[in-house]
Amino acid sequence: MGRVKKKGTAGQAKNFITRTQAVRKLQISLPDFRKLCIWKGIYPREPRNKKKAAKNATHSTTFYYTKDIQYLLHEPLLQKFREQKALEKKISKALGRGDAHDAQRLEKNASRPEKTGKTKYTLDHVIRERYPTFVDALRDLDDCLSMLFLFANLPSTQTVPAKMIARCERLCLEFEHYLIVSNSLRKSFLSIKGIYYQATIQGQDILWLVPYRFNQRVTGDVDFRIMGTFVEFYQTLLGFVNFRLYTSVGLVYPPKFDKTSDDQDAQLGAFSLENNSVGPIEQPKFQIANGDSKPDPKLQAEIDKLMSQLNEPEKPAEAPKIDEEDAEEQPTDTIDKFEPMAPGGDILPQPSYSATDPSTLFSNFTFFLSRETPRQPLEFILKAFGCKRIGWDAVLGEGAFTHNELDPAITHQIVDRPPIQVNDEEEEQSKTEDNQTAQRLRPGARVPGRIYVQPQWVWDSVNDEELKRPDFYAPGAQLPPHLSPFVKKVQGQYDPSAPLADQERENEELEADSDMDDEPDMSDDDLAVKEPKLLASEDVDASAAGMDVAGTDDEDSEAASDSDDAASSFGGFTDNEDEEEDEATSSAKQRQRELEAELSGVAIEEKVVDPKAKARSAAKKKAKEEDEEIKRAQMMMSRRKRKIHEKMIYSNKKKDAEAEVLRNKRRKIEKSGKAAPRA
Amino acid sequence: MAFGTESRKRKAITRDVPETSDVESDAEFGDGILEGILSQSEDDSADDSVEDESDEEGDDEDDLEALDSDEIPSEDEADGVVEKRGSLQEDDHKPNYTVTTDANGGERYVYDEINPVYDSDDSDAAAATNTIGNIPLTFYDSYPHIGYDINGKKIMRPAKGEALDALLDSIEVPKGWTGLTDPATGKPLNLSQEELEILRRIQTNEMPEEGYDPYPATVEYFTGIEEKMPLSSAPEPKRRFLPSKHEAKRVMKIVRAIREGRILPYRPPEEREQEEDEDVHYDLWQDEQPRADHVMNIPAPKMAPPGYDMSYNPPPEYLPTKAEKQAWDSTDPEEREKEYLPTGFDALRKVPAYDTFIKERFERSLDLYLAPRVRKNRLNIDPASLLPKLPRPEELKPFPTVCSILFRGHEGRIRSAAIDPSGLWLATGGDDGTVRLWDTSNGRQIWSVKIGDEEAVNVVRWRPGRDAVILSAAAGEDIFLITPPVVDPETETASVALLDTGFGYATNATPALTAHGQRKEPVAKWTRPGSRLQDEGVLIRITVRTTVKVISWHRRGDFFSTVSPTAQKSAVAIHTLSKHLTQIPFRRLPGIAQTVQFHPSRPLFFVATQRTIRSYDLQKQELVKIIQPGARWISSFDIHPGGDNLIVGSYDRRLLWHDLDLSTRPYKTMRFHSKAIRAVKYHKGGFPLFADASDDGSLQIFHGKVVSDMMENATIVPVKVLKGHKVKSALGVMDIDWHPREPWCLSAGADGTGRLWM
Repeated sequence: MGRVKKKGTAGQAKNFITRTQAVRKLQISLPDFRKLCIWKGIYPREPRNKKKAAKNATHSTTFYYTKDIQYLLHEPLLQKFREQKALEKKISKALGRGDAHDAQRLEKNASRPEKTGKTKYTLDHVIRERYPTFVDALRDLDDCLSMLFLFANLPSTQTVPAKMIARCERLCLEFEHYLIVSNSLRKSFLSIKGIYYQATIQGQDILWLVPYRFNQRVTGDVDFRIMGTFVEFYQTLLGFVNFRLYTSVGLVYPPKFDKTSDDQDAQLGAFSLENNSVGPIEQPKFQIANGDSKPDPKLQAEIDKLMSQLNEPEKPAEAPKIDEEDAEEQPTDTIDKFEPMAPGGDILPQPSYSATDPSTLFSNFTFFLSRETPRQPLEFILKAFGCKRIGWDAVLGEGAFTHNELDPAITHQIVDRPPIQVNDEEEEQSKTEDNQTAQRLRPGARVPGRIYVQPQWVWDSVNDEELKRPDFYAPGAQLPPHLSPFVKKVQGQYDPSAPLADQERENEELEADSDMDDEPDMSDDDLAVKEPKLLASEDVDASAAGMDVAGTDDEDSEAASDSDDAASSFGGFTDNEDEEEDEATSSAKQRQRELEAELSGVAIEEKVVDPKAKARSAAKKKAKEEDEEIKRAQMMMSRRKRKIHEKMIYSNKKKDAEAEVLRNKRRKIEKSGKAAPRA
Repeated sequence: MAFGTESRKRKAITRDVPETSDVESDAEFGDGILEGILSQSEDDSADDSVEDESDEEGDDEDDLEALDSDEIPSEDEADGVVEKRGSLQEDDHKPNYTVTTDANGGERYVYDEINPVYDSDDSDAAAATNTIGNIPLTFYDSYPHIGYDINGKKIMRPAKGEALDALLDSIEVPKGWTGLTDPATGKPLNLSQEELEILRRIQTNEMPEEGYDPYPATVEYFTGIEEKMPLSSAPEPKRRFLPSKHEAKRVMKIVRAIREGRILPYRPPEEREQEEDEDVHYDLWQDEQPRADHVMNIPAPKMAPPGYDMSYNPPPEYLPTKAEKQAWDSTDPEEREKEYLPTGFDALRKVPAYDTFIKERFERSLDLYLAPRVRKNRLNIDPASLLPKLPRPEELKPFPTVCSILFRGHEGRIRSAAIDPSGLWLATGGDDGTVRLWDTSNGRQIWSVKIGDEEAVNVVRWRPGRDAVILSAAAGEDIFLITPPVVDPETETASVALLDTGFGYATNATPALTAHGQRKEPVAKWTRPGSRLQDEGVLIRITVRTTVKVISWHRRGDFFSTVSPTAQKSAVAIHTLSKHLTQIPFRRLPGIAQTVQFHPSRPLFFVATQRTIRSYDLQKQELVKIIQPGARWISSFDIHPGGDNLIVGSYDRRLLWHDLDLSTRPYKTMRFHSKAIRAVKYHKGGFPLFADASDDGSLQIFHGKVVSDMMENATIVPVKVLKGHKVKSALGVMDIDWHPREPWCLSAGADGTGRLWM
């Protein structure tokens, strides 16, 4: 007989450790522990058996992996934290003694990131550890960019030092510069929250959200210390990512930053990029490393091949600009379309930039941004899609191609104000007056030979990779709906861009119509109908009670007590048994009638059946049959499987219902004829 | 002592004190300096507590200091002073001495006896302390006095002065006037210049006393005082005069280190900070090596990309209707399905800031480091693929679907029903105590007999086998064996003969003796039921001790077993028809016996108690198996004609299928009834059917196919629910039976009808 094993020495009891235990083991304070967890990417786990992991304690706690904490024990940052803690102790001791000089001397060694925006330690090794390859870092860039772009737009406060904000802004602008140079921005979307951007760098899709340029509302329940910890890490991460990206396209990092032009709100224009002597470095053949969303290996191989092809032309190119001719010379650049082999399969995400090169979309145009348009996102997105010359009103800041609205080079002007009707005479006058003297036009006046569009035109063109018709986006026009380019189209889900007729179920419109027909009736006669019905049912009850009082009472109580357990499923049979019989009898009657008619020699008049009603009843019958079939099958499933099945049915039904609601709404809108044109 | 009055008197003077004092002092200083001063000082000692002449006192003090520096006045002078004082104070007091002649004839002053009252000479004690305590003086507003002194005497209110005085007061404010009233004395509180100065100093955090040095230079104890003589006479050591070699060595060490650059000279910290201000960037992924993620590592899920409804200008169908908007507004922010409400703007310039942007980002960061991550497999499959493939009921025909024959006639419930082995007749027994025979082809009643006088017929069962037609029925404690007079005479005589053969055995058998030598009461008595019943065809009555609820025949027809659940020991009895013998196989049963069955092919005997079913080998006389269906209260069970499967019905609404080879636990549990299951039955004639009857008035027909292959499980498919019986006093269908050859099912209902379903 083996030795009796002691409880709590192996398995879950040993693998998990509570937060309090972890903090005690590491001998640091809770805020320091939090920082470490954030930087090292350590997160709590849900043990499979909580009771075992908690060693039978019942209070709710968070659990960490013991191995994770063990790994934290060797962290060099831990030593820094301890040093800082010791230093703080020394300072407070010196202050307590009244030794101000000593305290000041010590204070110089202390790290005060809230004042200086700098810490005594660096997080380089943590980043290297968390992201062993560059692609890993790119994959995790979503949250990093969203956070830094938010902080770049925050006002400085006690908890958010101005230096931190400035650094965030600089890093973000540097990253945008890379996207412009490498033309890796793919999609963008104007949402109510802010502007979403999606870039593809080395095959990784990076999606981030930039808030609109407003003062952000800061609520009291936001702890900026936690956010600050994240920002500290993300700043370091983005710094190194930027370095790598810049060197990969042959640029010097950090780019030269012109403080004075930045003070004049030049934004992107405050940086001047310069080529390094080495040139763009060779891209390592990247592979999508392990991730939980592992796609089909075949498809992966295809995409890999494809991406390596795409990367090839970048190698010889010295400047980030790729000439159109060069691009055309490459016949291998054509991308195969992935068509679903069988109908009904999901539509695959197509490799996106096959049709047009994103660097050429706006390359031949000169844009002018009106005073009321958001300059920053427009400048970024236009430049990222090849536009070289963007002018804007002088109020929008430095760095424009031109501040002169009348510059003859301008081909497109982006306007976001309601049109003002101007008399022709006045216009004439103003033209004669202003053309030579002022750079600004009178409000509402237009320069001929120029396309005026609303900002959405830029976004829709970018997302569809083609220039949209500008007349849909003319100033003051009702804009076509702005659709998210990130939604993957799934069979059976509502797609607002497809015509309604393609998506409807059979007979859906008929049903909807009849529902609509029914609805007013219900609402009108609701009360009138309901009351007599109620009375009638009461009468029936009373008579039944009179017949057998005792019996019904017992039954009722029994039924009530058992109702929760009463099997819900099997009842369906008998219900529609009646109906079936009804149908059988009705068909029999019909036959009888026919026979009689034949005997008597009278032509039987065809009973005119409303096709709508027929369709409806047929659909109903079919649905009922299917339902019954499912219920019968469900009876034979195990309890666990049945639960899963019910859940799936529920969620599917919910999705279908949502889609149907949307379809109904659209049908109504289309019928009323108020719909905007869909581009 | 009349201090109060005195002070009052003085009070009257106070207003012109400064002048008077000045005048006085001036006058005094003119001739005899000392007198005025001393007299004043004495006055002071008396008036110390009054403190209204502090200013004057200050002056006096100065004078006193001046006096101190001079010589102390001699005694005779003092005498003179006293004398003069006496004369001076004549107006105030009578002289407290009398002048007499002494023995020498000289003048002798005889002083009055001093009345040593308390604090008569205590200058420290407050003179007129008001003893009313810490209460407002306004309480005494309506009295002439303002309190009591230490002796309990009233302290009279000081005169307020006349209107003219008041006017004068208002015009010229006396020196040190504060406008306050001393609560202790009720007099106006005046502060001297000195006191005001002290107050100012306290207010400005200075020392109250001018010129006070809180930190005087210490006078060292030893070195402060230069000693005339040395403490030690030892000569100074040499080392005091020679430079230390050791120190020189250490200095040289440092010098060398500095020269060699091992010790860097001190650099001001400002430079260092500037240096650090720049970010150091380098290619962190110079030699990147892909590393497989740890198995347990779960990367944080990415934020969901925005959908159509998040657009600033969404398609109009995504905009919420008024009702939806209201619903969204009224729900708690934490319960909302989406954290935002789709909103449409017709121009980009109209889009406002998203007010929970920071909060959302904050929550995301909280999720990143606080939320436990669990990998969840989302089943993205068609739910239909989960459903087991069941054959359609149409393919499993035949099975009973409709009620074709109704058997009416019983008054009260029908408790039991059985179809005879030939399938021609149906026997029922009910609450009215009758056993009736029906024709199964048309539902007509052929024959009936009343066997229970008061008791209901609990159970009727046919003896298996075609050679004789014997019906067994139980009413109360009696079991009747009946040959119904409906069969052809040959079979009838065979049946009668079969029943009668046992009589010989019964008479021959010698009753067993108990331990006391008495005749043991036989467990059952086999008798003739009486001529009336005998004429009807009821041939044998077996009387047992308690009510019989269940009869179960052995397949050969020689044995049958009965169950009387209420009996303690003799709950299960096995009767031998050929010997008219009754045996009690179990002396004790673990629980109340519910029902029994003989195995259809092997010598096994199954006994169901409330929770378990036990199977016994009759030959070896041992327990073979305990089957645990897991039901709370078994109502009935039936054995598949193949012998390896079992169905159990229970009062807790469960129908359980047991595979006897597989396990003692049920292979399949089905719970489709809303009320208790009363009876379960397999079809014994070759159709793979079984049925159960429930108190909810319905029967359920199942297709249950058992394959001979051991590896394959039985297929069980529910095919039909038969409803028709009415529920009466919470009872629905009491019993069911299958037709021996056809897929017809027979049910006995509590509503007094039997139904044949085909």
